[in-house]
Amino acid sequence: MNYDKRSLLSGIKAFIAETGDMAYFAGRFFREVFKRPFEFKEFLRQCYNIGNRSFLLVGITGFIIGLVFTLQSRPKMVELGADAWIPSMIALAIIREIGPLFTALISAGRIGSAIGAELGSMRVTEQIDAMEVSGTNPFKYLVVTRILASTLMIPVLVILSNFLALYGSFLVEYLKGEVSFRFYFDEVFRAVKYTDLIPSTIKTFFFGFAIGLVGCYNGYYCKHGTAGVGIAANTAVVKTSLMLFIIDFVVALITDILFLS
Amino acid sequence: MQKSFYQQLKLGVFVLTGIALLVVATIMIGQKQNLFGNSATIYAIFRNTSGLKEGNNVRFSGLNAGKVTKIEMIKDTVIMISLSINKDILTHIKKDSKAAITSDGLVGNMIVNIMPGSDSFGSVASGDTIQSFSRVSTDEILNTLSETNENAALLTVEMLKIAKEITSGQGLIGALVQDPKITQSVKATLFDIGKSANEAALAVSNLNAFINSFDQPDNLAGAIRDTVLANQLKNIILNIERSSAEIGQVVRQLNQTVKNADQAVINAKDGKGTINYLSNDPDLVTKIDHTMKNIDETVLEIRQSSQLLNQNLEALKNTWPIKNYFKKMEKTSQSK
Repeated sequence: MNYDKRSLLSGIKAFIAETGDMAYFAGRFFREVFKRPFEFKEFLRQCYNIGNRSFLLVGITGFIIGLVFTLQSRPKMVELGADAWIPSMIALAIIREIGPLFTALISAGRIGSAIGAELGSMRVTEQIDAMEVSGTNPFKYLVVTRILASTLMIPVLVILSNFLALYGSFLVEYLKGEVSFRFYFDEVFRAVKYTDLIPSTIKTFFFGFAIGLVGCYNGYYCKHGTAGVGIAANTAVVKTSLMLFIIDFVVALITDILFLS
Repeated sequence: MQKSFYQQLKLGVFVLTGIALLVVATIMIGQKQNLFGNSATIYAIFRNTSGLKEGNNVRFSGLNAGKVTKIEMIKDTVIMISLSINKDILTHIKKDSKAAITSDGLVGNMIVNIMPGSDSFGSVASGDTIQSFSRVSTDEILNTLSETNENAALLTVEMLKIAKEITSGQGLIGALVQDPKITQSVKATLFDIGKSANEAALAVSNLNAFINSFDQPDNLAGAIRDTVLANQLKNIILNIERSSAEIGQVVRQLNQTVKNADQAVINAKDGKGTINYLSNDPDLVTKIDHTMKNIDETVLEIRQSSQLLNQNLEALKNTWPIKNYFKKMEKTSQSK
């Protein structure tokens, strides 16, 4: 009993300490991001890795989500006589919530774990230490570029994914309901408002930042040798996913207070 | 180096595609919300907005005409709604158009529906306020339905009571339904009514035939329908009227004459007037008779004298110089 209590307390303490440490890590990022020299090439490379290389996975996932979501909801909507509402309902669901969150979760799995593993392996093989010794700022070169690339590329991925999801949804409507492309997207843009598009787009920047930050943090402070690399990658994915839901909840709350209520 | 450039190119395409899609979405949403269009603001005043929100659609004849931009409470019963209307549609909204807050579909958003006005009024301009009317709310409908329901319940109870009385043979209708004698009597009456109806039909048929005979010109009614004859008859009647008026005049004059004669007779009876004197004095009659004889003699003598005078004048015509005078007279009369 006492052991459990101690372990719970130490767990909470460790969680708070890690949160503080991560905040410090984020603060360091903001300090370093505006300092010269800018590692532009490395930033572009990371953008390519995070953006272009994730696009296929994210795009296919988005397309299938739109397809399946429409297939699943369509029978009930038709039964209720509300089949004309399918485009607007799917559009609002995808643009407000499903598109950003699913894209971010998939990116967390692919990008977060990759960053964690890459930086973790660099840490355990002492490459980061070597960079510090050679006079290169490893934080600026490795962390700032990755977090910045992730922050800017996730929104682009989300936009593309949203459109592919809507296209997937349109295909189902076209095949089952004989709805024209123009009518479908006319209904979509009639239903979606700036109060839907802007908060969800801003949210994706936070998602990108969280994916980059947690991945980099876990990789950068990787311990326990090569086994730690796996742990770092795994922890990055788990923590990022949790963080994404927390950010999503906070943004939804703020959006509701500012725009919807 | 080549690989790096190729990667950068792909990255550029990737980012630009994302940004382009975001821009397209922004423009499309803006167009749907009339943010970039040429619009003007008009106003409508309501007592109750029925849950209308800023950003809700405005429809004119079923077309999306704009958005609700502002809802402002002026007084406790006066709510002013600002409507941003597309200028292309604004010209078609007349000054007597009416705005109503309705639901978009069964469970849809509230919308402002503008109903078209008449052509005799001009188009609204920016800043104008159009008329509005409030539709009956669901609560009011439900209240009315509740009242109707209560009345229906009371009515049902009464109907049930009446139905029971009828079933038990009470009252006139009950007796009609339940008593076999009355039923037979009603049947017999109905039979008689049927018979009477047949006879009435026959009578009506005869009457129709009689009325149709009016169209034949060889009877009196047909003759009356002839317009020429009718005109002649009219003239005759007019003449009769005129004659009767003249006869009336004559009769009135005769009456007057008779009255005068009566008066003369009365006077004569009373020993007054000329007639009385002439009829009642015998000396005067003798004198008149004598005078008449003298007159006859005198006239005879005058005739004889005039014959002699004629002879003398003939003799005179043939004597000179009077003879010349008569010749001149003849010539003058011949030249004319």
